[in-house]
Amino acid sequence: MDSSFIIGLAGIAVLIILIAIRVPIAYSMLVVGIGGVTILSGPAVILSQLKDLAYAQFSIYDLSVVPMFVLMGSLATFAGLSRDIFQAANAWLGRFRGGVAMSTVIACAGFGSVCGSSLATASTMGKVALPELKRLKYSPALATGTVAAGGTLGILIPPSIVLVIYAIIVEANIATMFMAALVPGLLAVMLFVLTISIYVLIVPDAGPPAEKTGFTETKKATLAVFPVLCIFGIVIGGIYIGAFNPTPAAAIGAFLIGLYGAIRKKISWNNFIEALLETAKTSGMIYLILIGAETLKIFMSRGRVPMEAAELMISSGLSPYMIMVLLLVALIILGCFMDSLSMIILAIPFFWPVISELNFGMPEDSVKIWFGIISLIVVELGLITPPVGLNVFVIKSLSDDVPISETFKGVMPFFLMELVRVALIILFPAIVLALPKFLSG
Amino acid sequence: MGSINSIRKLIRLWALCGGFILIGIILMTAYSATLNLLLNAPVAGDFEIVEMGVAIAVFCFLPFCQLERANVSVDIFTMKAGPKTVALMSILASTIAVIFASLLLWRMSLGMADYREYEEYTAILSIPIWMAFPPILFSLFLLILASLITTAESFQTLSRLKVDGKLKKPELT
Repeated sequence: MDSSFIIGLAGIAVLIILIAIRVPIAYSMLVVGIGGVTILSGPAVILSQLKDLAYAQFSIYDLSVVPMFVLMGSLATFAGLSRDIFQAANAWLGRFRGGVAMSTVIACAGFGSVCGSSLATASTMGKVALPELKRLKYSPALATGTVAAGGTLGILIPPSIVLVIYAIIVEANIATMFMAALVPGLLAVMLFVLTISIYVLIVPDAGPPAEKTGFTETKKATLAVFPVLCIFGIVIGGIYIGAFNPTPAAAIGAFLIGLYGAIRKKISWNNFIEALLETAKTSGMIYLILIGAETLKIFMSRGRVPMEAAELMISSGLSPYMIMVLLLVALIILGCFMDSLSMIILAIPFFWPVISELNFGMPEDSVKIWFGIISLIVVELGLITPPVGLNVFVIKSLSDDVPISETFKGVMPFFLMELVRVALIILFPAIVLALPKFLSG
Repeated sequence: MGSINSIRKLIRLWALCGGFILIGIILMTAYSATLNLLLNAPVAGDFEIVEMGVAIAVFCFLPFCQLERANVSVDIFTMKAGPKTVALMSILASTIAVIFASLLLWRMSLGMADYREYEEYTAILSIPIWMAFPPILFSLFLLILASLITTAESFQTLSRLKVDGKLKKPELT
């Protein structure tokens, strides 16, 4: 171990301390990155890099989908997408035992995929679904647990901003990642619906059926989500069949959602301005983290930290699967404290070099896709892990009368089901890899 | 105080300008993709406009992001800290932002000088790259102001706490 490696490790320690004392993650990375390179190689190197680094980073073509999808998400939020999906799903499923909770899961997944943030999904869907669940006398544990767990689902389902960032970090194809995420994402929705049916089978009083929705009402609710579903179909389908690249697809999606909202008079001028300001906040936050990550990367690769760590792991004699499980556990733990996007940007540059050196009996490109999907699921799992899961605290702030231990109790079945999903994907990589293979011929 | 409020308004307006640039790029890209699909004839060099425009737009967002304290941080380890500690931590964070924004403004103005000197152009539309820089440098200037405002806000909170400190117990936030 040489001194630059030790300085690199010290840098990580400082980074953790800065993050722990509430310095924004982006600025923590910048301080350590810029400071670290200065210590290792003198100020000249980083000063000359800083002339162009931020512009070079901000003008990466593939990254331009990020602000476009963020805008599409905020416009969809203002257009009332969360309520529309919930009501449509409810019209079909509400009459069954546990049905309203199932509709909540579906609405969480649908809304979360556009919204791109688990915490925002949990909070938006909580406002929509919790009053209804409460009115029908669902057990508080099942009601709050469903929303907290459901909030984590949409992140993986395309169009997913976190997935775009992952693809850019490991140099994977965004379209391929989007294809890979679809089946695991839908699998999660199915498993969660299954969880609820088992739950109400054991505790029938936990999820009483709602009154039946009449035919005209059902038709109306279904038609209300139809245009938005079509827009999704165009965006995602267009990417899948190669009609357009992710950036044009995002542009078309944002344009169509805006148009739809304006025509249906759901988005007022004030909403539109609000959506732009929301987009400014979210995109600014993401891009700043990306410059931070870039300076940190320069520092870390000069200190040879990812390489040394990879060698250390590989020479440890653990099997590839053991190493992968260890890294995933680390991601769950870290995911308890941080939002998934920051986690991915922070951890993947360290974890990917390790994983890419291991032999899982498949080509590196496939490992890249497979590991990306698994780590995204696992990072989200941190959000509902007791005792700190951030999503659970979001729900707590929405329903003061339910003690937090009840919500954690309600989350547990979903948490276990998520572990089942991760195990399934680790054992059968085809769940992830089959669709990209099929679509790319 | 009036001047600070007008700076706030300017920063918000500047972020909105960035938002409208983004809208312009979205419309152009959607139009180009549709042309490409129907007539196989996209807008020439559309991706160059996307790259440059999005970069400018995102820089416009940064000051507003700072002003609204939208940069994600982790507060779970310091949930039990008293309001004074929180204010001190916030001062540290904002000071780092001031330093970073000033450093970047200094370096990127040199970066612009480099682009002017070596006359780099985009490949298809031959737009001089330095032309993206003036709005970016102005954004960074606003980022310095925004960070100064957030620093001042945190100092204000701190001094308020010092005044009331003896009366109030630190409350959990």
